[in-house]
Amino acid sequence: MKLTDEMKDALMIIGAGGAVVHFTTCSADGKPNTVGERFVAVWKDEYILIADMFAQKTRLNLMENPVGVITIAHPVKGRTWAFRGPTTMLQEGLPPDFEFHGAKAKDVLDEWGNWAEKEPPSEVPPDIRPPRLVQRGVMFMKVDEVYSYKADEAGKKIL
Amino acid sequence: MAKLTPRMKNWLEGLGAHIGTATKKGFPTTIVVDSAKVEGDNIVKFQLSEAQVAQVKQNISENPQVALGPGGLGSIRAAYQFKGVARIESTTLVVEVREIYCTKPGPEAALRLDTLPYENIIKFESTRWRDTGPPK
Repeated sequence: MKLTDEMKDALMIIGAGGAVVHFTTCSADGKPNTVGERFVAVWKDEYILIADMFAQKTRLNLMENPVGVITIAHPVKGRTWAFRGPTTMLQEGLPPDFEFHGAKAKDVLDEWGNWAEKEPPSEVPPDIRPPRLVQRGVMFMKVDEVYSYKADEAGKKIL
Repeated sequence: MAKLTPRMKNWLEGLGAHIGTATKKGFPTTIVVDSAKVEGDNIVKFQLSEAQVAQVKQNISENPQVALGPGGLGSIRAAYQFKGVARIESTTLVVEVREIYCTKPGPEAALRLDTLPYENIIKFESTRWRDTGPPK
């Protein structure tokens, strides 16, 4: 499944404060975890990645239950989309040929393994900026479905 | 028992939340509601549309655990996560918050707040953020 240009634009805002999403994961026994995330990008039209700034519960959840939901939090501007699909953590040290749903971990990390260098968060206000951008890897979703979270059509399949 | 601070209440009531739910086997579904009403120390009520009720009622029925992340600008300016149990009454999602976490990026991410003395939570907030709620 390929994301539309409008979706990619909404997820990957360069400058101007960037996009913010909520990322929901879940333990294997059903306890959800929903956290705001600031460093978001799209990979090859089909994947969404988020910088892993040493996520804790999210990491544990993905290790035992590799699926997630990403919802656009700000700016929304009518883009009421929820992206759901298999999700994992990619980080240095994985086998060189490691692939996740057709994406090579090495290729992803070569491009997005150093977010601070690729896209310095200079536009993030100081009181909500991480003290230092320390990145362990990326949280990486293969988008399987997109549904609407708009109140009157919640759950409606979009892609 | 978790006790929400005025700042937490203001952000939830002003901009609502992204509400994480799941089947009992852990398949997640998130809905978004753009306002809420907080009652007492830890009850948060969300008015759902019929479509939202249809989307999550099975999840809530088999697994009442939910997670709330403040909506809109609150996703970054009100870096909290609230966890608790929920039930659906007609078209209202009633959440009893049992755990509160700080999700501000950095060394205090995942810091559990509801286990601190209430006055310490207030002090923590006043030293981390300047606002008391979303912009009017």
